[in-house]
Amino acid sequence: MTCYEFQQELPELVDGGRTAEQESHLNSCRSCSELLADLTVISELASSLQASEDPNPRVWNSIEAALRKEGLIRQPQREPGLALVSRSRPRPLAFWWAPVAATLLIVAGLLFYGQLPFSRGSRSTPAQASLSGPKLASFADKDDQQMLEVVQAHAPGMRAAYANNLRAVNAYIQDAEESVQQDPNDEDARETLVTAYEQKAVVYEMAMDRSLP
Amino acid sequence: MKALNPRPAREPGKGLFMQSKLRAAALLAVVVTLGTAGTAQVRKEYRYTVQSHASITVTNDYGPISVTPAQGFTVIVRATLASNKVEVDQDQHGNRVDIVSHLLAGADADSGRVEYEVQVPSDASVSLHSTSGPLRAEKLNGDVTMEGANAAMEVHDISNAHVHLKTLNGPVTLTNIRQGHVEITSVSGDVSLSGVSGPLVQVNSTSGKIHYDGDFGYSGDYLLTSHTGDIDAIAPSDASIDVSAHSVKGAVENDFPLEPKTHLLAPIDKARAFVGTAGKAASKVVLHTISGKIRLKTR
Repeated sequence: MTCYEFQQELPELVDGGRTAEQESHLNSCRSCSELLADLTVISELASSLQASEDPNPRVWNSIEAALRKEGLIRQPQREPGLALVSRSRPRPLAFWWAPVAATLLIVAGLLFYGQLPFSRGSRSTPAQASLSGPKLASFADKDDQQMLEVVQAHAPGMRAAYANNLRAVNAYIQDAEESVQQDPNDEDARETLVTAYEQKAVVYEMAMDRSLP
Repeated sequence: MKALNPRPAREPGKGLFMQSKLRAAALLAVVVTLGTAGTAQVRKEYRYTVQSHASITVTNDYGPISVTPAQGFTVIVRATLASNKVEVDQDQHGNRVDIVSHLLAGADADSGRVEYEVQVPSDASVSLHSTSGPLRAEKLNGDVTMEGANAAMEVHDISNAHVHLKTLNGPVTLTNIRQGHVEITSVSGDVSLSGVSGPLVQVNSTSGKIHYDGDFGYSGDYLLTSHTGDIDAIAPSDASIDVSAHSVKGAVENDFPLEPKTHLLAPIDKARAFVGTAGKAASKVVLHTISGKIRLKTR
């Protein structure tokens, strides 16, 4: 089974079981196994967000307050559902929050702009909007700073490069958001926004994964 | 007899001074050489017997990785270690070979450097990771995955395979990729594609420039996207393409003989976008940037 054939069947794989052939491919292909793991995490996170898509705004406010108070990224243990696929090289413990933060950021952004199929096509509810815009940016700023601190600790020489790239992708997201706001029905603009978030995810992925010694 | 290259007359005292400088330089060179010998490079070679469609992963914090095809079903890894502050962890599980540069205490970018030359069966899947690179793979028909923050990436002569590359700053060069499923993510590194075609060729960049020189194949999707990076595409005038190009804030240029589309969902701002088809419109070409320039030209 090739990667292409495997990835054609990804939607079923995320939600259901696997055939022996798929299992065999997963065992032999790191790229596909990582992709499946990431999609599973995103699917689980999105499902949990979907469940609270139309709550009372107070629910969102209290969640937001709790996240702020406790620190979204300082939970003592990783939730089982948030565990990303293990890599061949162990990550520094301090990096565990990076994929979580990046995933939440992306999922929140995508849900806000109605990109994911399970977002029921709604562009935003007031509740979702409370976690978007400046507040979402505020979370992102904090995450960015903490990510840069980790880079500084592990590879000081690369901090400037990461800071520059973060600035660039944040500007990308901002411009893409403006385009969507100008014309929410512009499919290209929405796809561009997704791409911009993906670029940011790459920066986080690089920082947390193998690209720091 | 006249000297062919007469030396200028020496100034009094300067000759001795120059000689002593030369001696000092020579002595320094010897010391440096001995010093290098003291932290002698170590060469190691590993061989593995695998079956078809093996999976080879090499993770190297500092230093290049080059992958070329081997004869038969043997994987050969030649590693040159810069010092004893780095070692090679290697493992084989069935048809999977994992090679990891293991930095020891005190290792830095120089002392932790390892240069890898890897030969793999041409149908093997290869996954390469390095912070500094460069990373290179050529003449394979198995999947190629590369990842690295600053690593320059070069991939040549690959066919019928996935080529997935991710980099922050490193430049990416792809040449002669046929029937490829190509996905490149570069945040700020430039991406150059020459002779690249296949069912999917997708490049996403934030600030890096994207350059495509090829024929856009037959019946593929070519999606080149950036934020501020310019997008240049050059193709022969007989290319068979269905083009949609849009720069939100930048300029667009097209000298490709495109047939205009008659059914458009929205009017086109010709200063910022162009659409049209050429030939049988077999391949879909989407060029999209927010503030970069887009140029589509005939070769």
